[in-house]
Amino acid sequence: MQPLLRVENLVKHYAAGRSAGSRDKHVALDGVSLSIAPQSTLALIGESGSGKSTLALCIACLEHPTSGSIWFEGIDVAALHENQQRKFRPRIQLVFQDPARSLNPRWTALEIASEPLVVRQDTSKQERENKALELLDCVAIPRRLASQRADELSGGQKQRLAIARALALEPKLIILDEALSALDCSVQAQISNLLLELQSSFGLTYLFITHDFAMAAHLADQIAVMDRGRIVESGPAENILRSPSHEVTRALLAATLPITETPGVGLEL
Amino acid sequence: MKQRRKLMIWLVILGALHGIIAAAGFFAPYDPVEQDRERPYLPPMHIHIVDAQGHFHLRPFFYPLRLREGSFDQYEEDTNTTVPLRFFERGAAYRLLGFVPSRLHFFGVAGARVYLLGSDAYGRDELSRILYGGQISLLAGLLGAGVTLFLGALIGMAAGYYGGWQDELLMRIAELFLALPWLYLLFALRAFLPLAVSPLEAFLLVVVVIGMVGWARPARLVRGVVLSVKERDFVRAARGFGASDFYLLRRHILPETASVLLTQAAILVPQFVLAEMTLSFLGLGVPEPMSSWGNLLATLQQYNVLVSYWWMYLPALAIVPFFLGYLSLASALQERAGAYKIEEKGNWNPS
Amino acid sequence: MRYLLRRLLHAVFLLLGVSLLTFLFSALAPGNYFDEMRLNPQISPETVAALRAQYQLDRPLPVRYAHWLNALAHGQMGFSFAYNSPVAPLLWARARNTLLLTVTATLLAWLLALPLGVWSAARLGRAPDRVISWTTATLLVIPDLVLALGLLIIAVRTGWFPTGGLTSVGFDDMSPLHKLRDLAWHMTLPVTALVLAALPTLVRHVRASVAEVLEAPFLRAALGHGLPHSKLLYGYALRAAANPLISLFGFSVGTLLSGSLLVEVIMSWPGLGPFLLEAILARDLYVVIGGVLLSMIFLVAGNLFADVLLYWADPRIRTAASAK
Repeated sequence: MQPLLRVENLVKHYAAGRSAGSRDKHVALDGVSLSIAPQSTLALIGESGSGKSTLALCIACLEHPTSGSIWFEGIDVAALHENQQRKFRPRIQLVFQDPARSLNPRWTALEIASEPLVVRQDTSKQERENKALELLDCVAIPRRLASQRADELSGGQKQRLAIARALALEPKLIILDEALSALDCSVQAQISNLLLELQSSFGLTYLFITHDFAMAAHLADQIAVMDRGRIVESGPAENILRSPSHEVTRALLAATLPITETPGVGLEL
Repeated sequence: MKQRRKLMIWLVILGALHGIIAAAGFFAPYDPVEQDRERPYLPPMHIHIVDAQGHFHLRPFFYPLRLREGSFDQYEEDTNTTVPLRFFERGAAYRLLGFVPSRLHFFGVAGARVYLLGSDAYGRDELSRILYGGQISLLAGLLGAGVTLFLGALIGMAAGYYGGWQDELLMRIAELFLALPWLYLLFALRAFLPLAVSPLEAFLLVVVVIGMVGWARPARLVRGVVLSVKERDFVRAARGFGASDFYLLRRHILPETASVLLTQAAILVPQFVLAEMTLSFLGLGVPEPMSSWGNLLATLQQYNVLVSYWWMYLPALAIVPFFLGYLSLASALQERAGAYKIEEKGNWNPS
Repeated sequence: MRYLLRRLLHAVFLLLGVSLLTFLFSALAPGNYFDEMRLNPQISPETVAALRAQYQLDRPLPVRYAHWLNALAHGQMGFSFAYNSPVAPLLWARARNTLLLTVTATLLAWLLALPLGVWSAARLGRAPDRVISWTTATLLVIPDLVLALGLLIIAVRTGWFPTGGLTSVGFDDMSPLHKLRDLAWHMTLPVTALVLAALPTLVRHVRASVAEVLEAPFLRAALGHGLPHSKLLYGYALRAAANPLISLFGFSVGTLLSGSLLVEVIMSWPGLGPFLLEAILARDLYVVIGGVLLSMIFLVAGNLFADVLLYWADPRIRTAASAK
């Protein structure tokens, strides 16, 4: 089956010097390649600074890669012009880590959920409101909270709202960039279950970025491990978890899961 | 919350002050251009409640002024007639706010002219001239601040949002404008434009010139806000569902600049009113017969006025409560915004 | 060292920009000054021709700018129509008078502001500080126009001070001591106006900077070492708070020519201000350009001076600059 997303040799440099025209550069992505099958979940694991967020931004067409290609539904979106890219962006949505920053605190839940439709400009106010309320239902936010300001909602509710907003334009791929990391444990569990439900209801594909193997274990079909701008290991989830081969993978595993590990054998799930 | 209350108090005070000036027709007893050549340079009249015979009057009254025997510019009170002060009198016709016709005045007298703050060389009532003059001066200040903030916001947003060489260029130009002494720049601009123009043209000229001088600081501040907001995740998210630059600027970034713009407004308006006063005082601003606080003070440049007619100085004091109100408002706004930046505190001192 | 060179380059760039702006304003001004000049019987046709040649008025804008800059570099600032003489000497004479006033006022203001601000900061919140804060707040609310006019009226009504001019009649016949006294007497009013106008902002800045520094742990440590209070305040606290104050001082230096315009006009002090105003009203173009340019040069120089001072005074800037 044709993968929904295929990234080939993606490279991204940032200029690092203080003065204009400086030669220093910071290499965020150093030739990243991966692919995701439709309606599956790929967990991208790595430490902070490994380039995960940069990759997310590039795939979502919010940053231009220095070189490489991003094949989405058969089209290289990295090579498109700004105007054409803008048409593609709704199909790949991003859910950020901190909902306090990814939602405009002064706006109400309803306004936030309907913003994508406002931007698309082809629906009436009534249609938008109905759709927004439906979205709130999908993510289990009670309707009475619809007119609350975003900064009055709890952390879990905020993140649900962010997910609702991401669903508004019926995307194919949703990138969750550490989306659960800022939440309490119990809330994390609720929302990851919600994500699984939404995936089966809407046929979504997830790129789930995290530094936490336990979460990845719960959600992922495939796992890729990233270190300093490169993918160091990838494959089906059980394989990686049971017998990690790269040292970075092993280090990350050791750091996140409880110590019921038999050395050399990996983890019992 | 105490900050909010302080803010409210100053807003109310300023509102009341502006209201009095806006309703100048109501509060002023006379038309500001109405002359009385028989009574030039009358000193301010005193309000009495006890008359020369020692009787107490319930209603305050005035004594009309007449020329002292043998003098041609010394006045004394004529204690034979009392002229009672009446409130809500009918007097000269005027248009409230420019279009509501009315004849009702806050106070007035029948039978004589009362000069609460004295009269000028043509016998025009100073109080009325100060009230009406305030309309011109305040309007110039408000409009000028509006022009500056509009320019500053536009340039600041363009520089901050698009970055790159546009940003560099705009900020270098801003630095240039900041480096110029504003009064000199004002003069230079005014000098290179035609001098003898109609009062309306002069007024507009003053507004435009004032407005063009001050855009650099608000532009820098707005740019700072835009730079920080544009990297916020909710802006990224909006871009993620295909929002255009214009949408982002309008719906997300502009509202964040509101607080900075409001504080700048509170700082700039009084300075621009002062700028108009300075220009008009020096003869480069609003000309006669239009009255502004500035050109009312211009007579003080004549030595005899300076020596003998001290009440011609009173228009200068009119701006003080406004300065107090606006500066306190700016202070309250800055406190509310949290950052006490020395940079902004009255740094645009016109000297 | 490279840092200083960069700042110098920056200043030069600023000056060029300022000169370009001024030139553009004058070039785009409506009305042909040279036609007016030709009609003026007081100015000889030779002068007009010479000026025309010098400023190349028939050529396009960039050429005119180049010639204008060239003339400027030779110290020539054009020709005054009203005075029928070159502009530069006129400006210098007036500028000297202005500087007499402003240098005195600036020194006085700083000499007063430093101790007042430090004292205020040392007794933050208590009675002396409250009195000073209240006074500065009141002064801030009174704009310099109002202040200067008010002082003038007081002078006139009391007769204690002269109401204008640099010197009294018969100045040249006075003894040096008398001359000095006469000058000082004439200067009192304008200097007072300038000092009162500048003092509140200065005091506030000094107070704020020093107050911030007084909170620092290193100062409490020094206190613990038993240093006497005055040495602590002036030797340590003020030194640490110096940076923003040095920039402010640079700004003060920068406004030496332009800051006193209004006061000079009101108090009839024969400085640059009234001269410039007169030139504007008389449409004396080159005087206006020259005056504006001169004051802007001072401003840029003042900022550069502040940069140099900061560099010299604060070792952190030197190390940060060399680290780049």
